[in-house]
Amino acid sequence: MKTYCETLYDSYGQEFAVDKVYFENKTDHQHLIIFENAKFGRVMALDGIIQTTEADEFIYHEMLTHVPLMAHGNVKRVLIIGGGDGGMLREVCKHDSVEHITQVEIDAQVVNMCKEYLPNHSAGAYEDPRVNIVIDDGANFVRECKDRFDVIISDSTDPIGPGDVLFTSDFYANCKKRITEGGILVTQNGVAYMQLDEVTTTAKRLQPYFADQSFYCAAVPTYIGGVMTFAWASDNPALRTATAEIITQRFEAKDIKTRYYNPAIHVASFALPQYILDALATKA
Amino acid sequence: MNRITTEPTDKAEFYQQMVQQHGSPLLILDCDQLVKQFDALSAALPGVKLYYAIKSLPHPAAIQTLDALGAGFDIASSGEIELLRAQSTRARQTIHTHPIKRDADIRDALRFGCTTFVVDNVWELEKFVDYRHRVGLLVRVSFPNPNTPIDLSRKFGCREDEVSILVQKAQSLGLHVKGLSFHAGSQCPDSGNHVHAIEQCTKIINDIYQSSGKLLSILDIGGGFPIEYMQPIMHIENFCAPIRQALNKLPEHVQIIAEPGRYLSAPAMKAVSSVMGKAKRGDTCWYYLDDGIYGSYSGQLFDHVTYPLTIFSDIKAKEQAVLAGPTCDSIDVIAEQINISPLSIGDIVVGHQMGAYTSATSTQFNLFDKAKIVAINQFVQSAKNVFQLNK
Repeated sequence: MKTYCETLYDSYGQEFAVDKVYFENKTDHQHLIIFENAKFGRVMALDGIIQTTEADEFIYHEMLTHVPLMAHGNVKRVLIIGGGDGGMLREVCKHDSVEHITQVEIDAQVVNMCKEYLPNHSAGAYEDPRVNIVIDDGANFVRECKDRFDVIISDSTDPIGPGDVLFTSDFYANCKKRITEGGILVTQNGVAYMQLDEVTTTAKRLQPYFADQSFYCAAVPTYIGGVMTFAWASDNPALRTATAEIITQRFEAKDIKTRYYNPAIHVASFALPQYILDALATKA
Repeated sequence: MNRITTEPTDKAEFYQQMVQQHGSPLLILDCDQLVKQFDALSAALPGVKLYYAIKSLPHPAAIQTLDALGAGFDIASSGEIELLRAQSTRARQTIHTHPIKRDADIRDALRFGCTTFVVDNVWELEKFVDYRHRVGLLVRVSFPNPNTPIDLSRKFGCREDEVSILVQKAQSLGLHVKGLSFHAGSQCPDSGNHVHAIEQCTKIINDIYQSSGKLLSILDIGGGFPIEYMQPIMHIENFCAPIRQALNKLPEHVQIIAEPGRYLSAPAMKAVSSVMGKAKRGDTCWYYLDDGIYGSYSGQLFDHVTYPLTIFSDIKAKEQAVLAGPTCDSIDVIAEQINISPLSIGDIVVGHQMGAYTSATSTQFNLFDKAKIVAINQFVQSAKNVFQLNK
């Protein structure tokens, strides 16, 4: 029986039965594979680490999209860094109020490959007229770009490999310059129980640039080891503490269908486990 | 001095055909022999997981064959990682054994999926702090062995009394040391140093558990398993018998792994070169071969071994001769002060036991091409079945 073993950790890991390999590429010093698994549908892994699966991607993409967009309440312009699978784009496009979306993906082939092998992720969102796709290094784009955005979503790979520049102080500083007043930056920030350092390092690097910085959480089954954290940064502290009433009002006005996100989850997701709070308190 | 055997010319037919087909010089890699070596060592060390040291012969056919047999791989550089990646080898079955690494080397290995690393000092430990949640470490201990041609405990390995300090330091940095490793030396004449090292490591593992409760669960006994070049060596079964006895005294939870390179690859390859010119200098006949010290015979310099050679002749008379390599350098001599039957231009010379540290260390000095490696008996049936089951 064919299996795929994730190699994220030395002493712990998940294994998938591989029913069929759809795509495999081992060039450019990396290993990309897309395969079929009975439980999770199509699974994409890069360099031994699960990136996304058809079955549980909705949790991740809904939480990185709807939480900042609902908390903000009046988002017109969105910047997505990475997100080549199109899942983030699909969720952002659900917001009629959004007028413009720029997505910066470092590799054009990723977009084409995901359209072909993970079509349910983008679900046609790449054809949306509001979307502008830029093929560039995300860190370079925020350095050079002159536009501003109400929400920036960093949908990166892990900090070892092509995504490492999206976890640097420079990147966060440039994001700050590209955000409108009271705008929000959210980023994928790893599974805190397994890699607590990622939380404390990101906090240390983001806090100099934003008046309000914290994290929110969701459990994504194939990002194993507990809840995944998303970094949150804004100059408007009120956005993070928007009440359930306000969020409910906005959510109901939108008529967006979700499978994980709802106003109660939105508010609750900012509650952090004590081990994360303790780590943040002692990070120095 | 090289041991040179003379075979009748009709025995050269296979090599002549190979040269006709692939050119000269050649290295013929017999995958069947790799399987035999793997099976022999596995039988001599039951329960020990073998990680092939690919540095000895970094060739795709060798990797595919051993992968199909269920071997793991010992890697030491990003180049070796690229080679493994191209062969679709499961990264979980790899260990990175270079005690000194750059940050980029660590990241390359992690991206490949290798999460086991070897350290022997505090500075190296500190390099892993950023990756501490992802890796498991082995501490390499030094057990010097003056009786081997290559003492592998001089350049690397900490002192026995430094192990517990390193383990404590690792714990304070949030790093997991999961075991110990050592290298008893290369081409060991006997297994005395292996036994000594295993006994000392057993003591260290027990002491650390008793003093701190820390479990060390892996012992990597390295390589050093000898193969026959010029001198007769111990049979692998006899060589390993004392090792097995010593391993029996380890705590039951300790898993044992080894990193054989030479033992697996050396007997699997033969070098075939051709006489490209000859000259009579005094009483001595100089034969210039198309492969030499800068090529496949580089092991005679770097690896401190002398290879058994075969020439093919039906002439009984012998004369004093020199077998030289093709480059312009005077050091490029394979064998001298030898007495052999006269050779003609185009005749073939075969080198035996030439799989390990031969092509791996060859150069292209004078811009002579390296000998081409031709793999034969690839994917033997038994191995192929396993291969398909595992993938």
